[in-house]
Amino acid sequence: LKKYKLEVMLSVKHLHLKHALQTVCTLEAVILRSFGPEGGQVLFTRDTGQAMLSCSGTQILKALRLEHPLARMVVECVWKHSAVTGDGSKTFVLLLASILRLIHAAASKAPGVSQWSTEAAEAATARHLADKLLAFAMTELDDLICVSVAPHGFCVSSEDFTTKTQLPSCPNGFCVQALLSSFFHTRLDYVHCDFLSGLACELLGHWKFQNDTLSFALQFLNDNFPALHTQVSGFPVSSSHVIEGQVIHRDFATPCLQVNNQPVKAVVVTEYLQPKLLRRGDMLDLGCGGRVTGEKSIIPFSAWTERSLESVIATLQSLGVSVLLCAVKQSAAALALAAQAEMCLVECVSEEELSLFVRLSGVAPISDCWMIQPENVATLTFCKPIQLGAHRYADNLITSFKPCSLVICGSGEVQTEQYASAFQDAIRMLFTTWEPTRMTETTALKKPVQSHQCTSLNAHNLTEDTVCRSSDVYVLKPGCVIPAGGTFEFLLHHALLQHGRSCSASNYTNTGVGVSQILADALLTVPRQIYSHNLKSFLQTQTRVTSFTSNQPHHFMLLKNARGTTEDPEKGDEPSKLFTLDSGLESVSCKHQLLLAVLQCLTICCVDSLFIRALIFKPAAYLYSFYESKIYVRCFSLFRSSIMAAVKITHCLLHLVLV
Amino acid sequence: MSRLVKKSPSVCTDLPLDNADICNKLRLMRELLGSCYGPTGRLKQIHNNIGGRVVTTSSSSVLLPAIASSEPFVNLIRTSILHHVRRFGDCGLFAAIFCLSLVEQAKQSGLRAKAVIRSNEHLASLCTDYLKQGGCGCKVKLDLCSGRDLVALARSVVSSKPACVLTEPECVHISRLAVRAFLLTVPCDTPGSVSLGQTVRVSVEGLPVTHSAVVPGLLVDTAEDVYLSQPCSLPHPLVLFSASLAGDLSELGDGLIEVHPRVDSDSQVLSQLLELGNQVVRDGVKVFVCQKVIHPVLQLYLTSHGVTVVERLGVTLMEPLIQLTGAQPVATLHSAVQPTAYGQVGGLSVRRFGSKTMLHLQACGESAICTIILCHRNETMLNELKVTCQKAEHVLRLALREPSALRGGGCTETHLAAYVRRQSKSEVPALGRGCSQTEYLRAAEAFCRSLESVARSLEHDGGTSTIDPTHAHRWTRPSDVATERRGVGAGCCGCGSLDGRETWTSAEFPPADLLRDASVQPGVLDSFTAKLNALQVAVETANLALDVRYVIRDVN
Repeated sequence: LKKYKLEVMLSVKHLHLKHALQTVCTLEAVILRSFGPEGGQVLFTRDTGQAMLSCSGTQILKALRLEHPLARMVVECVWKHSAVTGDGSKTFVLLLASILRLIHAAASKAPGVSQWSTEAAEAATARHLADKLLAFAMTELDDLICVSVAPHGFCVSSEDFTTKTQLPSCPNGFCVQALLSSFFHTRLDYVHCDFLSGLACELLGHWKFQNDTLSFALQFLNDNFPALHTQVSGFPVSSSHVIEGQVIHRDFATPCLQVNNQPVKAVVVTEYLQPKLLRRGDMLDLGCGGRVTGEKSIIPFSAWTERSLESVIATLQSLGVSVLLCAVKQSAAALALAAQAEMCLVECVSEEELSLFVRLSGVAPISDCWMIQPENVATLTFCKPIQLGAHRYADNLITSFKPCSLVICGSGEVQTEQYASAFQDAIRMLFTTWEPTRMTETTALKKPVQSHQCTSLNAHNLTEDTVCRSSDVYVLKPGCVIPAGGTFEFLLHHALLQHGRSCSASNYTNTGVGVSQILADALLTVPRQIYSHNLKSFLQTQTRVTSFTSNQPHHFMLLKNARGTTEDPEKGDEPSKLFTLDSGLESVSCKHQLLLAVLQCLTICCVDSLFIRALIFKPAAYLYSFYESKIYVRCFSLFRSSIMAAVKITHCLLHLVLV
Repeated sequence: MSRLVKKSPSVCTDLPLDNADICNKLRLMRELLGSCYGPTGRLKQIHNNIGGRVVTTSSSSVLLPAIASSEPFVNLIRTSILHHVRRFGDCGLFAAIFCLSLVEQAKQSGLRAKAVIRSNEHLASLCTDYLKQGGCGCKVKLDLCSGRDLVALARSVVSSKPACVLTEPECVHISRLAVRAFLLTVPCDTPGSVSLGQTVRVSVEGLPVTHSAVVPGLLVDTAEDVYLSQPCSLPHPLVLFSASLAGDLSELGDGLIEVHPRVDSDSQVLSQLLELGNQVVRDGVKVFVCQKVIHPVLQLYLTSHGVTVVERLGVTLMEPLIQLTGAQPVATLHSAVQPTAYGQVGGLSVRRFGSKTMLHLQACGESAICTIILCHRNETMLNELKVTCQKAEHVLRLALREPSALRGGGCTETHLAAYVRRQSKSEVPALGRGCSQTEYLRAAEAFCRSLESVARSLEHDGGTSTIDPTHAHRWTRPSDVATERRGVGAGCCGCGSLDGRETWTSAEFPPADLLRDASVQPGVLDSFTAKLNALQVAVETANLALDVRYVIRDVN
């Protein structure tokens, strides 16, 4: 126990705000290399020697393998955020660094409390600010975004995926593509983004036909993406395409016959066709006449397995099955008999592909070869070999459900890997954008305070509009997008400043001003980095956005109040025309979630020093696990509710140990 | 208690293209690959530092896997090119040299990486559009009905591999063989979609190159004293086993079998095998082939009944043999062989090539399977010859899909450079905010210079490369020493379709149609599909390399 205690003492680390800032700034320096239109890509090699290429902030940060516990915690937060939304990992670090910088500046200016040292006072002020920022974000940010930002964007309805393929001239279809295209700009090299976003639209359009809701289709694509795409290296990116059917990433084990009879019948087999006589641990006793098995020879057993294989094949033949998809490697005899029965057999099909096939075709896989029912037989439109690059695969099309797969080409594995991961993140981003009932929880939480704040908002900002004044809760409509290139940040910056001014005028609280000021200033870092090579266009864009907001009345196409009244969608297109669409589009709800995630992460950064001290007194066995940064975050959420209590306990226990 | 090993932090390189070490490595790689390019390219010997096999080569498919670097940035470029080579089998060195010189030129020009990337992409699409259109000055239509064009195409592949060490007649012989083998794999009258057959390559060491031959059907290794039944009745029935006939029962499972000392399992299994042999003999089978091992007693039994036995065929020859004979592989030992599983062999003979004795199986009717026997004096040349023939076959197959070829000998590159230079001056595209007009023009100049530097890399003997103003073809003025060594006459351009007697008129573009005189066919042809893809892959890879800003290496 003494030894453990020693380790306990060694793990005490006091982290000043200064250090936290330094750490985050270092991360920011790495991220900036690949941020914005001038940003490039990052090449990294894994410990296995495999090379990877990425522009994704999460992957870059994870590849650094950082030692510093705080840095690891930030990386963890970024990872968790992007696992959900698929977007915004680089902006995350930028915003975090800039808010921390502002907080540090504010805290060092604040007057020190007498009984604490200046550092402790700084930490306390910083923590206080961070908590208030989070509280502000939880309560008022929703409304600010809904009222001042979202109306300047417009809503892309979920029907647009389908219209895009039919009517290329349709402006809304173009919007989805623009949204995807600007997402790919943050992930890939510039030149292929438009092509890939067109491809993604085509894929989504195909899948949209089969599912009633868009979010279901997106969720399905996200879950099954590994089985739905094929990477082919050695070809230019422009050879990528969408193909009909589900590609099984295995070749036929028996020569594939040209199946002319339509439709093709297929079954999924998860076990050996030829039964194994002996399982592991079984023992066969030969040659002792009086025992259970009176056999003196191995031949009858071997013959029995072959005969049962023959009967299985005969059953399958009687059902008209001509394609067998097997999860395991089958014996040579099974292959030979299947070939003689003119069946195509695919071995060692991966589990996820089989489960996708089973899900699409709706049949049950055969696990016991003695029990083959007609319900196990799926009907396919075709089943043919397909040559993609160096590999030959099996391609199936299921009649009732027309699946399609994506073929991603690139000049090397490194590139195809990158395109595939960008595709998956794009699907996640779209899912976040169209997520139907995302805001319900937060709105329910803040209802008690709502009436007071809403009137204060309405008072300064929306006096001319009656709809908003009467409403209690604002909900962001799914599919809300806004022109990219810093528009969101400029608008929110403007709104926050106005909000701060109105709060100080109405004498709401003094500190509220500071909080919205910090957030407003921090937001400007993002467009500043986007236009870092061209400050002129930064100022131009800012002027355009702010002059526009002060002149134009709002259109509430995107707002839906709690009573469900929706505004006329025709009006929504009007403001968007004033922005140039060449900069692309981005999702408002992704941005909103990003801000919330950053502010949550910020509180971790600010209370870090207290937190680590509090951990010291956990049992020794627990401590070993704290080497992993994952645990830090998990424990943090445990402690978060009673952080003040923890501080008190810490002080008491510290005294005890020292005594 | 198991302890977690602490992971050490990664090693980072900021802006890899500004790193002197990486730049040196890239330059070295360009010089190394550039020196191998073309018919007079220099050979490279590859061996590892603990001895082992020495490989002499100049071919990209052998060189690129061998020059793996510890630097991930260099490996990124290498693997991209390697993937192209694996798909298309040709123009690998072109892609590598072009890509590396694009990177180098972009760095020298000092332009912003993003501007160069956008311009490069636009210029590459300009080139591919020009190459795809009908009136392109460097494209030649291939006449698939005459063998002459095909031989020319194959010959450019064979002659660009100096490590094969072939004399002029040998080179022609091998090119003809490659074309013949290719033609044999094209099935004659199959309705519907045509699937090409297969060429099996057999190499024989120690014989002169001129002994190389192409035979229809399959050649399989057999024992020295192979027994041949008398040609009584053609065709011979054949049976093909895919399971082992050595007497092992592998499909029983993982459990244990306890055998009483009085039970002789081996003889029981053997008698089962002999019963199988007995049935096969009764059915009149003359050829007995097994993918795996056959029990010696069963072999003896079969040969004594006049059956020719081939064992250890290997999985690679299974499919051609099934196609050739129409047999279905059998793997059941306890039931009688189905009559439908038997195949037919049209002809059976023993052929000897040097030290090898091989059984020659011919199809009954027509089949698209053939075997090419490649002979050479020593192993390393033979290996290079095998690679070369494989590439030639690949190029010919590509030509079947797109019956055109490009002028070889560097003429396509110089012609494209002249075209790009002209186009970029006449019209400047709107590339958006990322790239200004001046930047585009400078990037286009760098692109053209890279293309010309590829053409220049063909010359290794100190001669000077020049470009004529009329057709923008490549010409070489050899230095005195190298005059007699050049294959193409000194008075011809790179591709051999122009001679030096013409007078140059003006720099007009697109140039006068070369094909008005149909008799002038270029002597050196490159594969159209492979070169087009190589161009795109090279530009894409170079763009990628320019776009990388940070390298993170996990050193755990």
